[in-house]
Amino acid sequence: MTLGYRPGTGVLHRAHPFTVLVLAGTVAVLAFTLPAPLGPMLLTAGTVAIAVAARVSRTLLTALAFAAPFWVFLVLIHVVFGDSPDRAVAVGSQISAVLVVFLMTLAAVHPGRLVDALLERGVPFHMAYLLVATLQSVPELQRRASAILDAQRCRGLRVRGSVWGRVRSVVPLAVPLVLGALGEVDDRALALEARGAAAGLRRTPLDPPHDRLAERVTRWALLGSVLGTIAWRIFA
Amino acid sequence: MTVALDGVRYRYPAADSDALRDVTLAFGAGDVTLVTGRLGAGCSTLLLVAAGLAPHVTGGARSGSVTTLGADPASDEGRRQVAGRIGFLLPTPWTQLSGMSYTVREEVAFGPANLGWPRDRIGRAVSGAMALVGIEHLADRDPRTLSGGELQRVMLAGITAMDPEVLLLDEPTLELDPEGARMVYRLLPALAREKTVVLATTDVDRAVEVATRVVLLDRGSVTADGAPDDVLGTDRAVALGCSTTVAEIARVAGHAAPFPLTVRAAVRRFAR
Repeated sequence: MTLGYRPGTGVLHRAHPFTVLVLAGTVAVLAFTLPAPLGPMLLTAGTVAIAVAARVSRTLLTALAFAAPFWVFLVLIHVVFGDSPDRAVAVGSQISAVLVVFLMTLAAVHPGRLVDALLERGVPFHMAYLLVATLQSVPELQRRASAILDAQRCRGLRVRGSVWGRVRSVVPLAVPLVLGALGEVDDRALALEARGAAAGLRRTPLDPPHDRLAERVTRWALLGSVLGTIAWRIFA
Repeated sequence: MTVALDGVRYRYPAADSDALRDVTLAFGAGDVTLVTGRLGAGCSTLLLVAAGLAPHVTGGARSGSVTTLGADPASDEGRRQVAGRIGFLLPTPWTQLSGMSYTVREEVAFGPANLGWPRDRIGRAVSGAMALVGIEHLADRDPRTLSGGELQRVMLAGITAMDPEVLLLDEPTLELDPEGARMVYRLLPALAREKTVVLATTDVDRAVEVATRVVLLDRGSVTADGAPDDVLGTDRAVALGCSTTVAEIARVAGHAAPFPLTVRAAVRRFAR
């Protein structure tokens, strides 16, 4: 599974981080405001097309892995036990579109460039770092969970087999995952302090992204599309 | 003296006893000071207190006076005054990653950038630090893909790139192979010419090769402070398990203190 930033040269990697974030926000809002099921379906198709064009298509497999359980439950509830397949497609498409765009953003936005972009707009470093650390926590926890899983399997934990067996294996995975992450908080705070992150000085952006006119126009257009859609849904 | 502790006591939050007890010490440039003792003796805590990270980050309670670079580094004013002037290396390199770098060069630049240096100065400092630590070949690697030893060297480069006046190194060679550890220790005497270098480690066998002064701690108190031979060559240091393997062998072989600390010293003494 692909979580987190992956170096690349695609259009989203080259884009200003704010453009990618605004795109993600736009998709997230439109997924729930466009008429369903057609709107979310088209939106999902659009985000998939962007992921392929931006050469972050590996994130699609991850999105599929995350979305699959939702689709299974939606089909069970709305198709097998219910009679509203449109509802299943609508909700499934909404979830899929948001997942694809979120994972795509994680994969394409370099955390350092995002911090540099925020610093250039006058955001204090600690707030910029907090945002990036939040985005990074997902792949970080994934890496840690994978290491813990390997360690527990070496010690005889069985993670395959029956559903009950899999559920039981969650505890020896989750407890060290959470406790380990909490235990490292102190060390991380010490390290950040020692490396001047709390010095209160104005950090130098190392690679400030160039914000081209075309991208600024694109961002305004995306925001306009969100506001327009909301207005249309309210007043139409 | 750039670092001075006077009657310092420190207790971690929720601890039953003090981690440091009435510690009075001073460190200055010119020495590579080795702080050692048994596990739990308070060596790492001493460095944390000297840097002001304890109690500022760790919490807990400190009494006595700590003056580092002319200020109390745990106070708000002191923190501003010493920002970027104290380099602190933790033993766990993976917890020191900035989390926003995808190349070693970016990771090394994290500290200098936080100090607000101009970009060309950061570039020079990063190149110099990577060359010093011997990691130029890793410059474009993702830090997350490095071994523990490589990562520790990256962290050391990150600290030295900030050009601190005080270097506090807590088990800097814990993750390193023998050659990597030797390489780090070889750097210290040159750094100590202009900087205050304090090294807390139980890797006494290698550290003693470069240390010019040794502080021995036991249960939070300073039990000896002086030249390596005077501190580690004693019966007490060997009995505590804080001396070198060579000294321990000499003691077991029935020789009298002071024991030689290194193979070279043992050869000098016994191969007459």
